[in-house]
Amino acid sequence: MACFERVSPALREILTRIHRAERPLEVDHHVHEFGSVHYHVKHSVTDPVYTYLSVSTPLLSSQGLPISSHLPQHTLEMVNGIFPGVMEALVPPNEGYQLTLKLDISRIPRDGKASTKMISDIASVQSALVSTQLKEILRNVESREVGYGIYKPIKLMYHPREPFFVVKQPAKTTAIFPMRFKEKEDVIIATAFFQELMDVGSSEAFRKAPHCIWSPIPPAELRGEPIEDLSTNGGFLSFDITLRHVQGKKLEKTVWSLLNVYTFVKWHVKSSRGFVQRRMRMRLDKLVQPLHDVGNEEGDDHRETRKKTKKVDGGCTNVRKWMRVSKKKILGRNLELGNKMKRIRSRIKIHCFSRLRRKWLRMPKFSPVTRYMKLE
Amino acid sequence: MANSLRLYLTCIRNTLEAALCLQNFPCQEVERHNKPEVELKTSPELLLNPVLICRNEAEKCLIETSINSLRISLKVKQADELENILTKKFLRFLSMRAEAFQVLRRKPVQGYDISFLITNYHCEDMQKQKLIEFIVQFMEDIDKEISELKLSVNTRGRLVATEFLKQFI
Repeated sequence: MACFERVSPALREILTRIHRAERPLEVDHHVHEFGSVHYHVKHSVTDPVYTYLSVSTPLLSSQGLPISSHLPQHTLEMVNGIFPGVMEALVPPNEGYQLTLKLDISRIPRDGKASTKMISDIASVQSALVSTQLKEILRNVESREVGYGIYKPIKLMYHPREPFFVVKQPAKTTAIFPMRFKEKEDVIIATAFFQELMDVGSSEAFRKAPHCIWSPIPPAELRGEPIEDLSTNGGFLSFDITLRHVQGKKLEKTVWSLLNVYTFVKWHVKSSRGFVQRRMRMRLDKLVQPLHDVGNEEGDDHRETRKKTKKVDGGCTNVRKWMRVSKKKILGRNLELGNKMKRIRSRIKIHCFSRLRRKWLRMPKFSPVTRYMKLE
Repeated sequence: MANSLRLYLTCIRNTLEAALCLQNFPCQEVERHNKPEVELKTSPELLLNPVLICRNEAEKCLIETSINSLRISLKVKQADELENILTKKFLRFLSMRAEAFQVLRRKPVQGYDISFLITNYHCEDMQKQKLIEFIVQFMEDIDKEISELKLSVNTRGRLVATEFLKQFI
């Protein structure tokens, strides 16, 4: 599913097309993607060497406020460090975007695999931006001890109305996701999924995976948070992230998985509903079949009886048919004869004579004596 | 088949055999109308006593008979919330397609999950024994289908959870 991929498929396709074009192309594309991400790709014929890529993405905000409308310096340095000769972040970026990159497409090698990898890495710049922010927060969070050794949770928002909390503790960092769904059916399907998730997570095979807990009530770490953040209908899903999950290359995967927890759960709920609907449709025919068989058996019986009666009455029907045909013919002949006689009688045809005849040459009507007058 | 289920279905079958003696009876209230009396319930002399067969608190079957029609209402067992929503969805799906079933009612009787309405015309078109077999088989199939759906949803959830956690390893 496209929303789980780091690489933007549309952006990759556009960059590949520009890279492989034999002649310079005029390109000015706006691409809108899942998660309110907006790309603007511009490549001009007058300046065929450089391609300009602007990125607008919802930044991770802490405590409801954006961290900054512009990217921090170290993020820009990180972006510049991905492909030093090929990609350069422009300061300031274009208006309405957090980042504008100047790409030198000609420096991308022409051979298949290397060019594909490089273009894919460029097309995943948005995921790198957001992941960097969360990595920075996880590394540099100042844990403020509150009384009994409970660390204050940090509220983060990747998508609006979907905040999650990160609680840094001595041996681990806990990511807590309050779950909200629009429909009751979604809540029930998701609850079944969370229970399976806990079950699988506690098995021997997934000993190394983060410990996963689901509870219908807010966990103890969120005590003291505003009530609107703690009122949910889907419970709270928590992951305990330890040092093992953030070492080396695993950090990228862990951060990306945490950012996409809500998307993943919603995708599973939607797929389950579709699966149930498809299965019900398949079963409908099977359930109806016995009734149709009953009806067909009855129909077969009727058809058999009708066939039998047809065989017995065969002779009579034939006679009836013959009689019918003869009657028709006789009537037709009579009509023809009558018309012929009329034609013979009135050979001379005078125009409008029939009308005249009807009006003036009417035979007087003799009414039969049916009424009697009373004689006084 | 569980013993209690077999007894329950046998009881329903026997009751239906006794109740499915329908004949054509025009409406007494309105001229030239012919309506299923079990739905109208305007003339008590045309109605028989309804029979309620309970397997347990959650599963029951109500059979209401009249001179020209018979109504069977079923309450299907729902052990948990997931079975509850699956049953509701599935039976609503079937009720919306009631014309395919001919004897199915579009809306179940209040307090029940699904209802059938059999009239004298159905009995004329179809054999009585086959109709009864269909109803009983339908009850068994529904139970089986709900259980399979629940199992499929849980299995699917398990597979998805496995794939999700693999990303962290």
